[in-house]
Amino acid sequence: MTQVRHPDEPAQTDGAPLLEVSNLSISFDTREGSSTVVDDISFRIDRHKTLGVVGESGSGKSMTSLAIMGLLPKGARTTGSVLFKGEELLGRSEKWLRKIRGDQIAMIFQDPLSSLNPYYTVGLQIEEAYLAHRGGGRKNARTVAIDAMRRVRITDAERRVDDYPHQFSGGMRQRIMIAMALTCEPDLIIADEPTTALDVTVQAQILELISMLQAETGAGMLFITHDLAVVSQVADAVHVLQNGQTMEAGPTEQIFSRPQDPYTRRLLAAVPRIDEVVDVPRPVFGGVQ
Amino acid sequence: MSSAGLQEGSGSQPLLRARSLVKEFSVKSEGGGHKGTFRAVDDVSFDVYPGETTSIVGESGSGKSTTARIIAKLLEPTSGTLEFDGADVTRLGKRELQAFRSNVQVVFQDPFSSLNPRHTVEQIVSAPLRYQGMGNPKDYPRIVKELMVRVGLNPDHSGRHPAQFSGGQAQRIGIARALVVDPKLVICDEAVSALDVTVQAQVIYLLRDLQRERGFSYLFIAHDLAVVRQITHRVAVMSKGRVVEEGRRDDVFDDPKDEYTKTLLAAIPRINPEWDRARIAYEQLQMSGRPSAPGGSGALGTD
Amino acid sequence: MSSYIARRLLWAVLTLLAVTFFTFLVFFALSPDPAVAICGQTCTPDRIATIQHQLGIDQPFLVQFGTFLKGIFAGRTYGEGASAIACQAPCIGHSFQNGEDVLTMIFGRLPVSVTLAVGAAVIWLVFGISLGLVSALKSETGWDRASMVVALAGVALPNYFLALVLQYVLVVKLQVLPFPSSVGFTEDPGLWFQSYLMPWIVLAFLYVALYARLTRTNVLDTLNENFMRTARAKGLPGSLILRRHALRPSLTPLVTLFGMDIATLLGGALITETVFGLNGVGKLAFDAVATNDQPVIMGVTLFAAFFVVIANIVVDLLYRFLDPRLRTVTR
Repeated sequence: MTQVRHPDEPAQTDGAPLLEVSNLSISFDTREGSSTVVDDISFRIDRHKTLGVVGESGSGKSMTSLAIMGLLPKGARTTGSVLFKGEELLGRSEKWLRKIRGDQIAMIFQDPLSSLNPYYTVGLQIEEAYLAHRGGGRKNARTVAIDAMRRVRITDAERRVDDYPHQFSGGMRQRIMIAMALTCEPDLIIADEPTTALDVTVQAQILELISMLQAETGAGMLFITHDLAVVSQVADAVHVLQNGQTMEAGPTEQIFSRPQDPYTRRLLAAVPRIDEVVDVPRPVFGGVQ
Repeated sequence: MSSAGLQEGSGSQPLLRARSLVKEFSVKSEGGGHKGTFRAVDDVSFDVYPGETTSIVGESGSGKSTTARIIAKLLEPTSGTLEFDGADVTRLGKRELQAFRSNVQVVFQDPFSSLNPRHTVEQIVSAPLRYQGMGNPKDYPRIVKELMVRVGLNPDHSGRHPAQFSGGQAQRIGIARALVVDPKLVICDEAVSALDVTVQAQVIYLLRDLQRERGFSYLFIAHDLAVVRQITHRVAVMSKGRVVEEGRRDDVFDDPKDEYTKTLLAAIPRINPEWDRARIAYEQLQMSGRPSAPGGSGALGTD
Repeated sequence: MSSYIARRLLWAVLTLLAVTFFTFLVFFALSPDPAVAICGQTCTPDRIATIQHQLGIDQPFLVQFGTFLKGIFAGRTYGEGASAIACQAPCIGHSFQNGEDVLTMIFGRLPVSVTLAVGAAVIWLVFGISLGLVSALKSETGWDRASMVVALAGVALPNYFLALVLQYVLVVKLQVLPFPSSVGFTEDPGLWFQSYLMPWIVLAFLYVALYARLTRTNVLDTLNENFMRTARAKGLPGSLILRRHALRPSLTPLVTLFGMDIATLLGGALITETVFGLNGVGKLAFDAVATNDQPVIMGVTLFAAFFVVIANIVVDLLYRFLDPRLRTVTR
């Protein structure tokens, strides 16, 4: 990473994390009072490393990622601290955050079809991210877009840059989302369930692509998913959430081979194994979900 | 209704026999208005044995959902035959169809859209009995409550509506509804795909348990092969409308012959088996050290 | 694509045929003796007999219909000999009361209706969409609620009421505008503009309301779309996000609506024209109903139907062009 975007940025020491989330809490004001969706979570992400945040529905994992980007819906209240390269992100103005979004922190969403505007070509949608942060002319941006598409292994990029989202398959659309996220070489990539909506063969390709690009760029990654098998393959460290709370966190191997928390254990035991039939002991229906 | 001993290769006659099913849809192609046909299901054959589960797996566009609809008789096949319990059911008249439906039921993927949100659990679960004219309506409330207990729901909630339940609970309502007429075959169309993983495990367990107890068969449609492995006896792998591989579970999973099946199996993300073994050992160690560890004893303890 | 257009045109022709048929049938069934009606106030039995013969109403229904259809393409002659009346092609009827071909009468009045429609359209597009957009962006605030109340008023208040109120306030009380007069644009642009201003406002008011509501709903829906979240996540400037990502998906559906609305208005804005005394196609229809001039009523009906059917096709093709997802589909 050779860009010099922040001349007064302190020299990167090994100890300083790329992203440091401390005591983050998110709540919403509803008619019945206040509802807490994320409750006092803390974690850090370093360059070159991937943190996997896993949880089932209602765990607050997506909200966490939106909070980092400042993209929470109206009415959300956040407390705590989110330090990115030493600078606090929470409470910043929309204008300030826009400089960071897409440029230093990029996000990849779950459903690539609805996450792309159907009325515009994919080329334009890749270009606009570049133009917004780097400037330059349309022509240059177009070259950047074509290169980005080639980088994510879309064949015939020169022609396909003028195609519309609906003209691509699901896997290709996700590649376009990735291309879009990488145009400005971000330091942090947030991937929110990037492969959940994809077929498993496509998923494998996309995961490989993401890993490769992360290695190339040295970016840190926050990988959010409900799929424990996926997280075991992509993450260096895992953070387990349930109902907005941290149940357990640690290096991946430790979480998977020596889980301490009962919920973590339950989660791991519940994952269906492709290579064997697990005869699951009879659950107690009093607490059935 | 055999309940015990679901041995592999029971050697009995298939309960359901699908042969050379084809389903074509007419498609108008661009520009010229020229009509083409699209074969969603292309010469598909498989068997479902009594008391066993046959799964149809495939990615999107494989034709598995269309096949399921044909078996459920929600769609007419373009050609091919369907045999159920020894009788040809490829084309059925109205009354025969009703009899068919008392033997073949469906559990759908999303209970919140497949169950009538305006009906109570009791109305939903007793509806098939009503349509079939089975039993005495005065008994329906009792039958429903008994079934609710069996699938793990609180019988006092029989007056509630689906939206008042969680995803896993609502799916249990759908299962109860399918079972109330005592069918011989239950078609599960991605029945656990939308559930959280811990809930999914519980529902898979329930489905297996019910099958052991009552001896009916499942036709299990899914895209998640790991889930399928936990519940099935036979597997048919579909791709682009065709069955590329079919056979008993362990044969297909451990020794796939077809290239597509191999690719599919290779693509599935796996938890490192060493980690798994280490975890199980670790947990057992903890258990033996502290026998009454709260929640640590089983994989699916109470919440 | 061309086969699609061909099919649509065929459907259009069939639709027009059906409309013509039913309109003809209605007038045929409703009038016991059209000759009497057509003859009008100053009538003699001789004239009635002449008209009866000229109309050919002694013929069976289908023959009459056939003759009428033929007249649309080739022109028509009512009767023969000295009292014969020629109706030039395309003939959609002849007004015996006024002694003119219906189509000629319509064309004479068309410029007024077009002026009225286009002027009102400009107003309602500009104000309706702006109002809707602002409401959506400031939704749930006082501004939003206020503008929606205005919108509701627009739908609820009858045209003529608003017309009278405006005239009273602007012309009589405040005296900022003169009473509308039918002066041409070329004669006196200033007076022309002043004359049309109130009718434009009155006509546009209802549509401002509808378009504001629709724009508001569409924009709110669009703002909730996932691609808006992507646009924000890319750090795009707010104005760009709005201009580029929010507007197009929100406004494209309005194109279809607009096409239909304006096509309908080209067939005449009956109430507005009548209240302001403007000699448009709408007023023509109104007068014809008052005097029971059946050929004119029928002619205006067909004329309006024609516009709507054509607009339907145009708008459909336009929409397919504007939404990229539909460009490669032919259904």
